[in-house]
Amino acid sequence: MLWIGFVAAAIVVVAINAALIYAVRRYRSERGAEPRQLRSGRRIQFRVGAVLTVFAAAILVLSIVFTDKARDTPTTGSAGLVSARSAPLTIKATGQQWLWRYEYPNGSFSYYKLVVPVDTAVDLDLASTDVIHTWDVPDLAGKRDAVPGKASTVVFRADEEGTFTGQSATLSGQAYGAMRTEVEVVSPQAYKEFIASQKTEIQAAQDRVVSLIQNGEVP
Amino acid sequence: MSARPELVVDGFPKRRPRWIQIATSADHKDVGLMLIVGALGFLFIALIELLLMRLQLAIPENTFLAPQTFNRMLSLYGATAIFLFAIPLALGLIYYVVPLQIGARGTALPRLGQLGVWLYIAGATVLYAGFLFTPSEAGVNPFAPLSELAFLPNNGVDAWATATGMIVLGFVLIAVNMVTTTRNMRAPGMAWRRVPVFAWAGAVCSWLLLVIGPVMLGAVTMLLIDRNFDGIFFADGSGGAPLLWAHLSWIFYTGAYMLILITALAAIAEIVPVFARKPLFNRGAVMGSLVAIAVIGTLAWMQNMLTSPIGIGWMYFAMIMSLALIVPFGLIVFNLIATMVGGTLRMRAPLLFAIGAVSMISIGLGAEISHSMVAAAWQLKNTTDATAATHFALIGGGVFGGFAALHFWFPKMTGRTMGESLARISFWTMVIGILLAFVPLFLAGGEQGEVIDAYKFFDGTGVNAYNLIASIGTFVLAIGIILTLVNAVVSRENGAEAGHDQWGADSLEWFALSPPEPHNFDVLPDVRSSQPMRDIRDAISHRTGGAASQPARESQPVA
Repeated sequence: MLWIGFVAAAIVVVAINAALIYAVRRYRSERGAEPRQLRSGRRIQFRVGAVLTVFAAAILVLSIVFTDKARDTPTTGSAGLVSARSAPLTIKATGQQWLWRYEYPNGSFSYYKLVVPVDTAVDLDLASTDVIHTWDVPDLAGKRDAVPGKASTVVFRADEEGTFTGQSATLSGQAYGAMRTEVEVVSPQAYKEFIASQKTEIQAAQDRVVSLIQNGEVP
Repeated sequence: MSARPELVVDGFPKRRPRWIQIATSADHKDVGLMLIVGALGFLFIALIELLLMRLQLAIPENTFLAPQTFNRMLSLYGATAIFLFAIPLALGLIYYVVPLQIGARGTALPRLGQLGVWLYIAGATVLYAGFLFTPSEAGVNPFAPLSELAFLPNNGVDAWATATGMIVLGFVLIAVNMVTTTRNMRAPGMAWRRVPVFAWAGAVCSWLLLVIGPVMLGAVTMLLIDRNFDGIFFADGSGGAPLLWAHLSWIFYTGAYMLILITALAAIAEIVPVFARKPLFNRGAVMGSLVAIAVIGTLAWMQNMLTSPIGIGWMYFAMIMSLALIVPFGLIVFNLIATMVGGTLRMRAPLLFAIGAVSMISIGLGAEISHSMVAAAWQLKNTTDATAATHFALIGGGVFGGFAALHFWFPKMTGRTMGESLARISFWTMVIGILLAFVPLFLAGGEQGEVIDAYKFFDGTGVNAYNLIASIGTFVLAIGIILTLVNAVVSRENGAEAGHDQWGADSLEWFALSPPEPHNFDVLPDVRSSQPMRDIRDAISHRTGGAASQPARESQPVA
């Protein structure tokens, strides 16, 4: 997709600047040269307009084709999470100043780091608790805004295991520049273990807080 | 030849000091000059803010500016560059030149324009008075809800919104005056089809401002109500819609972007024929394209919102509108180049800057193509690729194009020309500077996805070299720009004396004296074609049997 834009930009920039340089070099004033008092009729303008229209239309068509492709919902592959074969794995991502919170289907959550299974279609539902944030992990998916009160979704499938970093892309206040996130792509087995251990750890921590309060150790 | 003196005034007012005269005057030339001088002053201030940010971003994880300070610089830079430099410069040039070009002795509603410029001055004062206590931290476009009271409780955003409101109101008043003037005060015989391209652009931009200005005024009013009177326009959760601010503000910003480019391209379309000594290749196509840019370009506002939760249909609408802009922009550039072809180009400073402007705008708008393609925009939006594209287009239009117009009309405004060799040094420094400053940002954003507006970037993300080069380039660019500002200041008193018809141009501002008298023209010419000044020159040379003459100095009545 990006190459189309690059080629189009290159055509525009090269054509215009080459024509400018040619015109300047060729028609720099010389002693005694008289300018040709040319004016164009409508026909030339219509022709140039037609060429430009075709150029713009070609970009438009290519762009629609590739945008359709980018909007295709990916499907979970054979190496992916079994339970996500019928419907994509839904994870909730909540932006807050200046951290991302990820909530998994089993109720557990993690901050900053998102863990997803490899080869699995992931449906990331974006939300925001305060200002507009933009979830952006360029190597995995296109960016999308998390606007408070509005639902938006990023759908992606990570084809190989590894760690991908991203950074929030809409100015969200003081620590915006440091609002990063990390996506760790692991095997489905490791993913299940991760969310299970998150769940037990969160439960244990909550139990501990509750017991501390009940024992009067925390006012 | 028989000079026929005309009695225009029957008593001269007492001469006051020049600055008092300008500050209290409602004359379009004085008001225009105030806007132009103010704009160029704020260009210098915007440069300082940009340099401070680039210093911070020269090396990874720098601590030169605190995050809060950086955001303040960013907000001030955005407001200064757009509201205090680019639009006022365009409007100032229009306000000064257009009444002269259409052969008017003044404007239709001079006091309204005077109120406009004083609102601009008041707004600028409020914005920078905010700098003394707490400037806005909400960024170039202060998106709600970040700009709401809950997230930025100090008065910075209030100062920003008040300042912006006053300034935009001033612009709207000036636009009202320009619309009225261009409709009612054209010289006898100057039908719309004979109006100079720049005057046409002045009318187009004024109409554009009448549409987009009130939208922005509404938006800042709603923001002020939200912040100060418990409004909920943009607050989420209680019936407000944060995206509403995005729509309203982008309508204004996108329209303003178009306004800056329209003014620049129209000024270039005045300059190129003069220095190629050839008429514009096709006036009709250029004038029609300028209107198309104003309409289609503003309708493309959602091009800025392609990552927002708006429907895919709206995204396609924005894409179609912004790609459709290829046709009018392309036609204008084609006609400019076709005008140069076959001419005899005098490579003076105005033409040099004009060609540089077309070149830089081509880079900026070429890059904008990717930002209009929906799926590509999902990758590129809010990366430094967008910063670079915007800056190439707007520095190309506002600074290169503005400087082309400044060098071109400086003799008319002051009676002196700007230094040619300093102009050349400044031009090439600026070209090197802008390429060094913003090409690396294309790469950092497009290749590594470096995000926009961040107060720091991290080591190991592959953008260290790009940012260092960009910072150095920004310094070079700033030096180039400052050289032209110095040139203007020095030339005002010490430049070579200019003739009244300095460049041999064909439009009527060159029929007035340099600088023009308060009433512009002793004699209103009878316009018979789209090149009235050429007709005047021909008529004079016909009467004097071909002897060279200075028509304006003698204010010859013609025909």
